[in-house]
Amino acid sequence: MKHINHRDVVVIGGGIIGAAIAYYGSKSGLEITVFEKNELGSGTSSKCDGDILAVDKDPGFNSQMALKSQKLVHELHTELDTPFEYRNYGSILVCENDMELEAAQKWVKQQQNAGLDFRMLDREDLRNESKYFADDLLGGLECQTDSMVNPYLFTYSLFEGAKRYGAHIHTHTEVVNLYKNQAKQFVIETNQGTFTANKVVNACGVWAPFIGKMLDIDIPIKPRKGQIIVASRQKPVGVRNVMEFGYLISKFGGERKVDPLIEKYGVALVMEPTESQNFLIGSSRQFNGYETKVDNEVMKCIAHRAVRFYPKIADMTVIRAYAGLRPWTADHLPIISQVEAIPGFYIAAGHEGDGISLAAITGKLIEEMINETNTSVPIEPLSLNRFHASLEHSFD
Amino acid sequence: MNENVMIICRCEEVTYHELVSTATKYKCSARELKLRTRAGMGYCGGRTCRTMVEKIAQSMGTNTPTETNISLKVQPPIRPVSFENLGRISK
Repeated sequence: MKHINHRDVVVIGGGIIGAAIAYYGSKSGLEITVFEKNELGSGTSSKCDGDILAVDKDPGFNSQMALKSQKLVHELHTELDTPFEYRNYGSILVCENDMELEAAQKWVKQQQNAGLDFRMLDREDLRNESKYFADDLLGGLECQTDSMVNPYLFTYSLFEGAKRYGAHIHTHTEVVNLYKNQAKQFVIETNQGTFTANKVVNACGVWAPFIGKMLDIDIPIKPRKGQIIVASRQKPVGVRNVMEFGYLISKFGGERKVDPLIEKYGVALVMEPTESQNFLIGSSRQFNGYETKVDNEVMKCIAHRAVRFYPKIADMTVIRAYAGLRPWTADHLPIISQVEAIPGFYIAAGHEGDGISLAAITGKLIEEMINETNTSVPIEPLSLNRFHASLEHSFD
Repeated sequence: MNENVMIICRCEEVTYHELVSTATKYKCSARELKLRTRAGMGYCGGRTCRTMVEKIAQSMGTNTPTETNISLKVQPPIRPVSFENLGRISK
C-alpha cells in the first residue's frame, strides 16, 4: 500500500544549492520540501573549499552575478542564526611569469569595467601579504569583495534557516523515479514512499543528469574531479585566499608553462586559510567519471605546486586529503533554468567549482522564477536552452 | 573527574559535554557531529577519538547504522607527512 503525500515545491538534492533554494524559497512563503538521498551536505558541498569568489569569474555577466552572490552571503552572515565562519578579507591571484602578469593586467581592466573592485599588486604587496611567498613571484592582483566560509556549516546554517520558515527536510530519501501524471502533477517515487508535487527543482549537482533522464531531459553536466589537501596549523601562512593565475587558465582551458604532470592533472595552487587555522591546499581538475578516491600521484603534484609558491612551508605537515566532484558545464556557467518542455520543472545545477560562491544567488533566482517576480540578474545566459540551441547551430 | 570537561578529541580540544550537547541539539549522525564540533578532524586524524564520537552519536539514538549511514571514514595520508616529502616528484 502506498501513502500519497502532496507537496507544493519539491527540491531534490540536499547540498549547498538545495539549501539556498530551500532558504530563499521558504522565506518568500513557498512551501518547500527537500529530498536528500544521503545526509545534508554529504556530496560536493563537503568535498570542496569555501571560497566565495569573483576573482576567478569570467568578467562581465559571470563576475557580476558572483558579486550579487557575495552581497547576499554578506547579508546571510547576520541573517542566519548558526555562524558559518564567514570572513570577508578579499582574495589574491599571484603570477609567476611575464605572460601571466600581462594577462592579469587585462583581467583587472576587464573586471574593473564590469564594475568590480579589482587592483594589481606588485612584488612589495606580495611580500607584505605573506613572508612565506617565493621571492621570484612577480606580482598579482586582488579582488576586495571576495570572502570565505566553511562550506558544510554554511549548508547546515541555510537548512536550519529554511526549517525555521517551515521547510520540510527529508534525508536518506532517494528519488528513484519521477514523472508527470494525467493531473499534470509530478509523481516522485522515493525509497521512503511516493509523493506528488506541483513543482520540482533538480539541485543534484553532478547527479542532476540522472534526475533529468527520468523525465527524458538531457542535462549536459559532467563530473570534474578535484582534490584538496589539508595542512595542519603551525604558523599563519596568510589570512586570505590565494590562487595562482594559472588557476584561471586551468579552469577555462588555456595553455600553461608548467610540468607535464601538473598539466595532466590540472594542478593549480589554491591556498585557503580556515577558521580552525589549518589551511587547505588545492587544486586539481580531472574528468574521471564518478570516482572520488584520493589519488596519491595527484596529491604529490598539489604538494609540489604549493612548495613552488610557498618554499618555506616545506616542513609543514599535511594531515588529510579528500576528493570531490565538480558539476562541470561546457561554458563554465551553471544551469539555473526552467525546462520549457516540462512546465514546473526547474534545474539549478552545473556550478563546477562555483557552487559555494553562487549558491546564494542561485537560491534567490529559483525563488524568483517560481514566484514569477523580476529576477536579480538576467537568466537567459543560464538557461538549459543555450546548449540545445548551439547544438542545432552546429548542424546547420 | 567531571565528565563535562573531559576532553574527547585531544587534537581539537573537544569536550564530552560539547559532543553530547551538539548530538542532542541536532540529533545528527556521527559524521555531522564530527563536522560541527571538529572532533576527529585534528592532527591524529581521529585515531584517538573516532570510536568515542561514534559511540556518543549512537547513544543519542541518532546514528543507527543503515545502508546509507556508514561510520566515520579514514582519509589519507596514513600518517602526517611534510610538504617536502609528499611533494617530491620522481622523474
